[in-house]
Amino acid sequence: MATTTATITITSTDLLTDELSLSTSAVLTAAGNSTGITNTSGLARKTTGNTTEYTLLDASAYTDDAAHKIYLKNVSTTPAQYFEVQIAEVVVGKLYAGDWAFFPWSADTTELTNCDITITPQAADMTLEYMLFAD
Amino acid sequence: MATTTASLTIASSDLVGDALSLSASSTLYKAGTTTGLEQATGLTKTYLTAVTPIDLFGTILPSGSTGNVSAHEGKSHWIYISNKSEDETEWATVTIGDKVIGRLYAGDFMWMPWDQATDTLDGATKHADIELAPSVATGMWFEYCMIHEGMKLPESV
Repeated sequence: MATTTATITITSTDLLTDELSLSTSAVLTAAGNSTGITNTSGLARKTTGNTTEYTLLDASAYTDDAAHKIYLKNVSTTPAQYFEVQIAEVVVGKLYAGDWAFFPWSADTTELTNCDITITPQAADMTLEYMLFAD
Repeated sequence: MATTTASLTIASSDLVGDALSLSASSTLYKAGTTTGLEQATGLTKTYLTAVTPIDLFGTILPSGSTGNVSAHEGKSHWIYISNKSEDETEWATVTIGDKVIGRLYAGDFMWMPWDQATDTLDGATKHADIELAPSVATGMWFEYCMIHEGMKLPESV
């Protein structure tokens, strides 16, 4: 069993009058138990050639309703460049230059729409770094 | 202008043959700029005792608006949610616009952007609300916050 630990830290000295220093750690485990996640896509990069929508992760290739985790990062350094991220054809949000996200993914295929993760780059030549931790 | 930084580390010595030590850090900016975000909800801690989905963050439309477009669609919003349960069998289903994103199991957290975009599949009836549904009604603790560029608060009645 592998042990993989994710830690998030959010800090600011001037967002609020009280200093913000939030930190949480999680050991990535399989659904409903304490067995560590054992599968990963590895850290990967996708460079886009145009501004069309790309399917980054196809839900049908993964176990339905499992404890998958997704890491995404827009490695662009141009502030206006973003990736629009969709799950199940719903826009989740935009990752601007340097932004990253980490969230669970159910890879659900039993609802009305497959829970595919897709990205749409704002510009033609952009690179997204991503990693899947699969249950 | 405030400077708020979000950092992530993911580490494992035995997930793959090469030790994993991934780190990422970003400053939270208004959409498409290098101006720091200045608004936040504050970190909320709550105890949920029903499996009914609730809106953690609702998309509230402008008064008298037509269609289904939030005044803050496309602006920068960052969402943090953490399941503080210590029972490994307990999870919460996170949805956006009624579409499932994933399950937060005990101890898990998430950090993601939120666009407040209209659900293009069910745009006539669905907002991009972020909802949470605990797996048990025996009580689960959660923490959550949003750091953002702007949001509409419910009007008094």
